[in-house]
Amino acid sequence: MTSRTDAPEGFLSIRSLTKRYGDFVAVDNLDLEVPKGELVAFLGPSGCGKTTSLRMIAGLVPATSGRIVVGGGDLTEVATHRRDMGLVFQSYALFPHMSVARNVAFGLEMRKVDKGEIAKRVKEAIALVHLTGKEEHRPAQLSGGQQQRVALARALVIRPSILLLDEPLSNLDAKLRDEMRNEIRDIQKRLGITAIFVTHDQVEALTMCDKVVVMNQGRLEQLGTPVELYETPKTAFVASFVGRSNRLTAVARNGAAEFAGQRIAAPAGLEGPVQVMIRPHRLGLSPASPAAADPARQQVTGTVARAIFAGDILQYDVDVGGQIVSVELATRGGESVIEPGRPVTLSWRPQDIFIYGAAA
Amino acid sequence: MKTYAKIAIGAGLATALLSSTAMAQQTVTVMAYSGLFQERYTKAVVEPFMKANPGIKVEYFPMPNSAQMLGNLRAQKAAPQADVVIMDVSVSKAATDEKLLTKIDEKNTPNVADLYPSARIADVDGVAVTFDNLVLLYNTDTVKETPKSWMDLADKKFAGKVAIPGMPDIQGLSLVLITDKARGGTDYLKNVDKGIAALGEIAPNVQTWEPKPEVYVTIISGQATVGAGWNARAQVNIDTSNGKLGATLPKEGSVFQINTINQVAGGPGKDAGAKFINYALSPEAQKAFTEAMFYAPTNAKAQISDAAIARTAVKSMDKVIPVDWIALAKVREPIMDQWRRKVIPLSR
Amino acid sequence: MSAVAPAAAMPAPLPAAERSSGLPLVVLLLLPIALVNAFGFLAPVFNLLRMSFYESQATGAMVEVYTFATWASVLRDSFYAELILNSILVSLGITLMTLVCSYPIALYLHRSSGTWRTILLVLVISPLLTSAVVRTYGWVAILSENGLVNNALGAIGIAPLKLMFNKTGVVIGLTEILMPYMILALLAGFGRLDPRVEEAASTLGAPPWKVFRHIVVPLTMPGIALGSLLCFVLAVSSFITPKLLGGGRVFLLATEIYDQAIVTLNWPLAATLSILVLVIFGGALVLYTRALRAIM
Repeated sequence: MTSRTDAPEGFLSIRSLTKRYGDFVAVDNLDLEVPKGELVAFLGPSGCGKTTSLRMIAGLVPATSGRIVVGGGDLTEVATHRRDMGLVFQSYALFPHMSVARNVAFGLEMRKVDKGEIAKRVKEAIALVHLTGKEEHRPAQLSGGQQQRVALARALVIRPSILLLDEPLSNLDAKLRDEMRNEIRDIQKRLGITAIFVTHDQVEALTMCDKVVVMNQGRLEQLGTPVELYETPKTAFVASFVGRSNRLTAVARNGAAEFAGQRIAAPAGLEGPVQVMIRPHRLGLSPASPAAADPARQQVTGTVARAIFAGDILQYDVDVGGQIVSVELATRGGESVIEPGRPVTLSWRPQDIFIYGAAA
Repeated sequence: MKTYAKIAIGAGLATALLSSTAMAQQTVTVMAYSGLFQERYTKAVVEPFMKANPGIKVEYFPMPNSAQMLGNLRAQKAAPQADVVIMDVSVSKAATDEKLLTKIDEKNTPNVADLYPSARIADVDGVAVTFDNLVLLYNTDTVKETPKSWMDLADKKFAGKVAIPGMPDIQGLSLVLITDKARGGTDYLKNVDKGIAALGEIAPNVQTWEPKPEVYVTIISGQATVGAGWNARAQVNIDTSNGKLGATLPKEGSVFQINTINQVAGGPGKDAGAKFINYALSPEAQKAFTEAMFYAPTNAKAQISDAAIARTAVKSMDKVIPVDWIALAKVREPIMDQWRRKVIPLSR
Repeated sequence: MSAVAPAAAMPAPLPAAERSSGLPLVVLLLLPIALVNAFGFLAPVFNLLRMSFYESQATGAMVEVYTFATWASVLRDSFYAELILNSILVSLGITLMTLVCSYPIALYLHRSSGTWRTILLVLVISPLLTSAVVRTYGWVAILSENGLVNNALGAIGIAPLKLMFNKTGVVIGLTEILMPYMILALLAGFGRLDPRVEEAASTLGAPPWKVFRHIVVPLTMPGIALGSLLCFVLAVSSFITPKLLGGGRVFLLATEIYDQAIVTLNWPLAATLSILVLVIFGGALVLYTRALRAIM
């Protein structure tokens, strides 16, 4: 779907990276350029190849084909311990038999850094993750959030060329997750470090990252900024995975999609069954009266199937020719709930609707 | 007594099961060696005895060695299950001292009168039932010329090929006594320095001091080619190996190993037990067992076939060095000590 | 090493309140084994202790009169000091050999999975289904002068080695015999080994051998300690293999106990030496618990 020629050469450059296990293709011809200092998310459902890609970058899984280049140097055949990458695991993977300080110092010891320098950098790294005072604790004596901070400090203290984060927040509870999200982003920005963040949580990807790579079944679906992904999803998968969407089926003919007897403008070239995606809160809803139609908006008519008042929003399920469309309206006060069974008109701005060939 | 209660219960149970079938009859339980001895002794002595005494049933209770028989007697001291026990003389001395046995003499066992004098041992309740003697063993495939001296075991050509059951086994001890005497030792109860020195000369040739499962098999298989062992088992093994094993009585002579037959104090079968012992010492039983397994008889009146007697030490009694095993037991520890310090280190 | 103290305090699994409510059931569940141990272990050990003070006469007769004679002779005679030292050293050597031979196998087993793991595990355990005697005779066939090893050496022109009827033979034989126990104990103690932790070490710049040295070995220490304790105890108490492969040259506590009990008939001495073996086991157990506390 994306061509690599339009991307500038990045600090981390992944070229045609592929991993096969027998007949199964875990990662399929992945191309990606990550500029220095950017935080890039690999987003996708489990089994989409995001973790495998990360592990190939770290050297923990050998690539079947393709290249991994960092700062101009080809690392594809380089052993893990010489790649100079900091990896933070979902399970923290701290050394249980070592104190916090020794965990953090490990990478520096392996690099034969001078003892005084180690002490100084370990102290800084522990301070960076707000764990000063816990130096002599064992990992098992720390909370999950604290352990993850140690893992982060351990990965950062070696000043890696790239920081790799493998679902680092999944094992934390919701409140801690929000806290750590901000903290990781802050630290990454402050240090200006290039980082890859693997997650299945779109909120994490959208809120933390400069760019997001959406992956599905081993392939890159779309690369873009969070806004680009949300506002212009290139595939039905991206539209449904990033944010929430109504997913309807229609038939395209002569530049229009026929939708329960009503016609909507469709991109040229589409013929046959298509998928129509629209986000619930981008829909307007009014009692059926064509007179109120805004010519700048597209519209269809339907019948209210269900109406739920949920405080912040008013939520309708509208039956449009047999397909249910969800509508969410922010409440402003004073509106009356339209009863089920009443005809209504749904409207939207043309840029808010996405129509994809059924194959996509 | 409670010390051995657990063993007693186990052994008692086993014996109770064995004897339950013979309620109507009198039963004699004979504790003796397992294996070849059991097989041959049952055929030569036990079965003929039962045929002659239809009212008495003999149960053979096999044990691998004398020490375990003593252990069993100790465990059953409160309620003995065995009536008769056949064991090495030095062990029966210990059993006598522990008052586990009843004295056997001409009064209750008339055949004792016909035994060789050496079959009656002072301060032991039992009497000798078999004599055996140490012989030099060799593999006839590899050793063409029959060795003449025990010191042939020190010959360089047998380097790494000698198997001797070493001390504390009495075969090793016997060899010390024989060589000590041959080199001019006068009183083995005072010192056996000469014998220890002789063993020290043999030691470098020794492959194993602990031939397993038995020295005879080790030599028949060719793993070792010469060694020392007991005559009776050697003779049987000569037959079963079709002559692969050879046994000879070297010029320095040999010593007797004595098995005694003993009546257990307070055994359940009482009279029947004494009857069995008398039969076991009788000329016909002695003849039968010597012909079956080549132990020398202890009854002077036993008329044994020439073929069988030739394979025992009976015809070369002049070569048998008398040993007082009871007195020897008291100096066994110091001899063992010398063995460990002056013989074993030379065999590495 | 100031971190040791708080770490040692950690393994308290349950708060006191929860524990006390479960106490009656625990007692009930432990009762049968406590009874079995009382009758099957403590009583015999007590008897052994008592027997070690009986008098043993030169003829082998045992008299139930209490005396320190046996203990005095054992403590005075340098032979027994050598015997004990020799037993401990040989057993430690065997334990070390067993560990070195078993560790890679256990590590591989730990990392394999599925049917393959099951097959391997059965292969590892299967020697336990045959008796040590049979397996020791197998070693006789391999190690003897005309055995497999020396024949192979002979074929390439190397003079035969003395591999049997000495300490070498005992060590080789017991090492193989104890390996299944060591492997199972190691596997049981490999719980803390996490492939992610090893990966973390390698991303931090540790080459494979340093990952092994700094991560794998420390994390498998509980297994190493457990297996070593088990094999040391089994090595000290084994007598069949030393009898068959030692050729009467290797003097160990267990073989000496056998000789004293079965050949020389000195039961008080055998009992005394048995108590000494128990003391050695106690010492090993203390070392084990200390080691465990230090590594957890």
